[in-house]
Amino acid sequence: MNEELDSQLSAMFDDELPGAECELLALRLSRDDALKARWSRYAVIGAVIRAERGVVLQSAVAGRVNAALTREPVLAGAAQTGRRGAAIWARLAGGVGVAAGVAAVSIFWLRLHASGTGQPVVATVASTAAPAGLHTAANSPDSFVVPPVSRLSTPAITVPPTQLADYVVAHSAYSWPITRGSLLSALMVSEPGTLSPSAVSEQRASGGHGNATHHTRQ
Amino acid sequence: MGADVSDLTLVRRVQHGDKGAFDVLVLKYQHKLVKLVTRYVRNPAEAEDIAQEAFIKAYRALPQFRGDSAFYTWLYRIAINTAKNAVVSRDRSPVDYDLDRTSIDESYDMQGRLKDSETPEGLVLTDEIRQTVNAAIEQLPEDLRTAIVLRELEGLSYEQIAATMGCPVGTVRSRIFRAREAIDQRLREVFEGGLGRTEELQ
Repeated sequence: MNEELDSQLSAMFDDELPGAECELLALRLSRDDALKARWSRYAVIGAVIRAERGVVLQSAVAGRVNAALTREPVLAGAAQTGRRGAAIWARLAGGVGVAAGVAAVSIFWLRLHASGTGQPVVATVASTAAPAGLHTAANSPDSFVVPPVSRLSTPAITVPPTQLADYVVAHSAYSWPITRGSLLSALMVSEPGTLSPSAVSEQRASGGHGNATHHTRQ
Repeated sequence: MGADVSDLTLVRRVQHGDKGAFDVLVLKYQHKLVKLVTRYVRNPAEAEDIAQEAFIKAYRALPQFRGDSAFYTWLYRIAINTAKNAVVSRDRSPVDYDLDRTSIDESYDMQGRLKDSETPEGLVLTDEIRQTVNAAIEQLPEDLRTAIVLRELEGLSYEQIAATMGCPVGTVRSRIFRAREAIDQRLREVFEGGLGRTEELQ
């Protein structure tokens, strides 16, 4: 056997081999039976020098452990940790992606409805049915308009700028600073007290405010 | 060096699925562990059983080992706990000698069985190994003998041995290696001859 290799083995047995050499030798040692046998004899020499009485020097423990381990699953602890880390990163990236997507759609929507008309920025959320108990008086400043159920098959809920701004600020942790800034800027340029184009056209169709039911947001 | 680098390297290999690296750790520490367990149980066969169980427990727990302590320190604790539990459970359970047993077969009682290592041939081989190693050490040149004894008996690092012997660390490494090689050459003959003789007896 290579004398340098044996010298390294002896140093590794004493935990005196540099880390880089240790890596290479450990790889070889775990696969080379002759090297393992030599390593085992080094352990026997140590046991005799320490006069470990009561210890059987040709112990069968290693063989029995080896046999028992054939029934054990191969460990992949570090690999599992790596996979877990990758999953966390993937989840994080997914969350950021969703937040960015929502922000982009919001900006697009706001710009679409705010451009050219000088109308206020009011978000409209589709609703299947409004609970009857929630209908309140008209012209409430912090309310959103719910058309009469009998007249519209898909009534709309409008969200005033204040609440939308609160929503954006509350969820700012999930959006990029630049998109958050654009969204808030868009909200700030809107003038309070005016209605969205859809609300105006609705009022014209109904002839005033009387037919519109106002719904206070809970 | 001396920061448990080689053990940690092997441990990391096991944690990445290399079972062969665990064999290397078992080969290194089996004698120490059996010796440790014999403080709690006097029967060598039982001590080997407990050491075996401790190694298997260590293997199963290895994914949780982070290297905060030396591997042997961690293994030591597992072995001590396994030995204590074995003693407690042995004290609680009555010895069950089956008087109706008509033949000694593979299911021979744990407390009464003889392992290969305890057979007369095994004990003779152990004595022969011991005598051979001691004789080889006696024949070593003084500087080699001092270096290997300071390392194995006193547990000194290469640096400490170098300071003690007044020579460079590289020289210490070389002396210890040459001492081991000289002893190993004699030991190999015993192992090969001993194992062959055991097979003949069987």
